[in-house]
Amino acid sequence: MQYMLLIYDDANAGEREGLMQEYFAYTDELEASGKLVSSAPLHASATAQSVRVREGEISLSDGPYAETKEQLGGYYVIDVDTPEEAAQWAAKIPSARFGTVEVRAILQIPAEARA
Amino acid sequence: MKVLALIWSDESNWDRLSEDERKEWYGKYRSFSQAADGKLAGGDELAPTQAATTVRVRDGETVVTDGPFAETREQLGGYFVLDVESLDEATELAAKIPGAWHGSVELRAAAEEEAS
Repeated sequence: MQYMLLIYDDANAGEREGLMQEYFAYTDELEASGKLVSSAPLHASATAQSVRVREGEISLSDGPYAETKEQLGGYYVIDVDTPEEAAQWAAKIPSARFGTVEVRAILQIPAEARA
Repeated sequence: MKVLALIWSDESNWDRLSEDERKEWYGKYRSFSQAADGKLAGGDELAPTQAATTVRVRDGETVVTDGPFAETREQLGGYFVLDVESLDEATELAAKIPGAWHGSVELRAAAEEEAS
């Protein structure tokens, strides 16, 4: 089963000493375990844009969907055997020590539901 | 550039749909995926936020709580990773995601140099 791990931390997290190295080590460990599906760090949420279409008209607004104390700074998609294992990988993400990691199960959509 | 498109919509609407209506929406998403072929680098549908948990580690202790990070009027229900030349192109593509017609699509550029 696959999970998306969404990393919320404060915008200055990148300035923490040694944090990037910890992320590189974590990503390497995840990759070596064969559990990593994809991942990306994101540009600051100040650069986010939200897109809505109503009655055929596109409207754009600056900023993320939700204004929160901590912001989405990156994510990992992992492939693990149990929800507990997903939580364990989430807890090892460096930002989990001062920020928050949201764990979301990914749905495997059955082919017949798409037809 | 890679852009993460986060799809926010009211998940309770989905609960109210009949099986046929759901198939119709899956069809719209499939049409989007086909039309955007070559511009998509990934994407998934997420299980409802009811099943979400959050994990924090404080003083070496792992604290797991139920529910998503933020309680919002609309919920994060899925995402696409867009592989585009510009933010303008990402915006055009985002407007074609079915979720943008009733919810919101949040665009977040990936920090390319470190993306795996």
